[in-house]
Amino acid sequence: MSVYITSTGHHLPGEPVDNDRIEEVLGLVHGKPSRLKRRILQSNGIRTRHYAIDAEHRTTVSNGEMAALAGRDCLDRGYLPDARLDMLSVATSQGDLVLPGFGSMVQAELGLPSLELHTSHGICSSSMMALKAAYTAIRAGEHGNALVVASELASRLFKASRFEAAGATPDFDAEFLRWMLSDGAGALLLENRPRGLSLRIDWIRGVSHADAFPVCMSVGRPNGQGRHPSWQDYPTYAEAEADGALLIRQDVRLLDHLVKLGVDGLLGLIDEGRVRVDEVDHLLCHYSSHHFRGQIHDMLTQAGAAIPEEKWYTNLYTRGNTGCASLFIMLDEFRRTRELAEGETLLCFVPESGRFNNVYMHLTVVKEATS
Amino acid sequence: MSDKVTTSEGQACLQGLMRVWFDFERQLSRVPILQRLERDRFTDEDYRRLLCHLRQQVIEGARWITRGASSFERDFADVRSMVIEHAREEHRDYEMLEADYVAAGGERQTIVHAERNAGSEALHAFMMHRAGQPNPVDLIGAMWIIEGLGHKMADDWARRIDAALGGDGDATRFMRYHGANDDAHLDKLYALLDRVCRGEAERRAILRTARVVARLYALQLEEIDHEPA
Repeated sequence: MSVYITSTGHHLPGEPVDNDRIEEVLGLVHGKPSRLKRRILQSNGIRTRHYAIDAEHRTTVSNGEMAALAGRDCLDRGYLPDARLDMLSVATSQGDLVLPGFGSMVQAELGLPSLELHTSHGICSSSMMALKAAYTAIRAGEHGNALVVASELASRLFKASRFEAAGATPDFDAEFLRWMLSDGAGALLLENRPRGLSLRIDWIRGVSHADAFPVCMSVGRPNGQGRHPSWQDYPTYAEAEADGALLIRQDVRLLDHLVKLGVDGLLGLIDEGRVRVDEVDHLLCHYSSHHFRGQIHDMLTQAGAAIPEEKWYTNLYTRGNTGCASLFIMLDEFRRTRELAEGETLLCFVPESGRFNNVYMHLTVVKEATS
Repeated sequence: MSDKVTTSEGQACLQGLMRVWFDFERQLSRVPILQRLERDRFTDEDYRRLLCHLRQQVIEGARWITRGASSFERDFADVRSMVIEHAREEHRDYEMLEADYVAAGGERQTIVHAERNAGSEALHAFMMHRAGQPNPVDLIGAMWIIEGLGHKMADDWARRIDAALGGDGDATRFMRYHGANDDAHLDKLYALLDRVCRGEAERRAILRTARVVARLYALQLEEIDHEPA
């Protein structure tokens, strides 16, 4: 049974925010402009992004609502009525509530009746895990279709007040992601038949290396000098916050591993015969920063497996890094803005630094047979 | 970077070597003493033990390289020259390592009289065996792993060790020097790949030796926490 992406959608909240206006929204920590901001923005290359909070730190649209808006956008562009949906598979890094699962909230927000539900948990790769769950369910013949939604509302973690609650000036690892991540949602509709020009999912493959490396990106863990290993071990949540355990952190020293593991995984897929580099027409890679694009490209070149730069597609620089939603938002814009021809192939790649999980996907443009 | 390896056989071999290297790095990440280094739990004693165990293979390294050089027959005279030069550059590296050991608070007599651990024994025996075969082109696989490790020591370990021990680089000269020098060595390795990797047989031999050396090297480091220093 083949599986096709027959529709896509997205939601990016509010107006685009350029680099000069980031701190107008997120706020000045202890009233002072950041000294790291310029350097990190220069390195990641992002020029505009979207936030679901306003300058008064009010949430303008919740994570669940954003996911529903992207899902609705996708369904509106497709041919399937809500009542015929078999499955909803949803991903986020942090829902609006700790419990229940994010999928339940999104289903309710979309008003979708009686379907099978799946929520996947993680960071950037969680959307690909949600996608794979839906893909395998259709391949197995269990369902005929599935709506997959990925949504992120990271900006709430970056309010100046969060950093101020953790005391002194934030350390580099805690501030790094403030200039990287932003908000948005993307959605894909999967069916067991194509509609017009569709994207056939040839395969999805994940490779996780959590056993070999320490945590690289986290929420819930204080830095090295923290009093407890987890935010839930503190007597009160207020003490966990004061100890910096609720800040989102990236151990940037470990990021080089991500590039190597990404290249290693691709070389493995080449070995297996799943990828032929010269047959890839488009590469959609969720690199979090322009800096890594160069590193990945150099390492692939060294291995003689380079994919020419003109085949790389991204909208990172204008839509921002929206974590697990990034690849879906990218795929949606790619489909809407490109003239795709039957037989073209797309290689998608989502590396996750959380604890090193990489997911690859291969798509082929197919055309529905006309009778 | 790709211009350094130009033949298609050389490229295919390099892809394989890169994968062996990435796998080796994951093996290293699971080694207890290196996990302590990565997780800021590394002590002075750890560093002295690390040097003590590394030294036993470093001091023997010159032996397999020179033996390997003498195993290259006339058709490989150019390769032989490159291997001899490599041996000449590195055959006294262990002296720097011993000086670091002393700078880190160790007694010279301790490191000089230390024995090879089980991993060092296996690595040494394997290398001496391979180096004795006629035209041992697969030694490139061993050099790939050991040179790569030189880079890793210079770029990563030395910095972490100095940070953990509050040192200023005085006790990490071996790791820093070795890495700085290995850039040129890696360029020579790329040239060697083109020169000797002419078909599947050579490629398989090179990758196999790289894989074995990687595993035995990791074993040598794992043994640090099994055997007394």
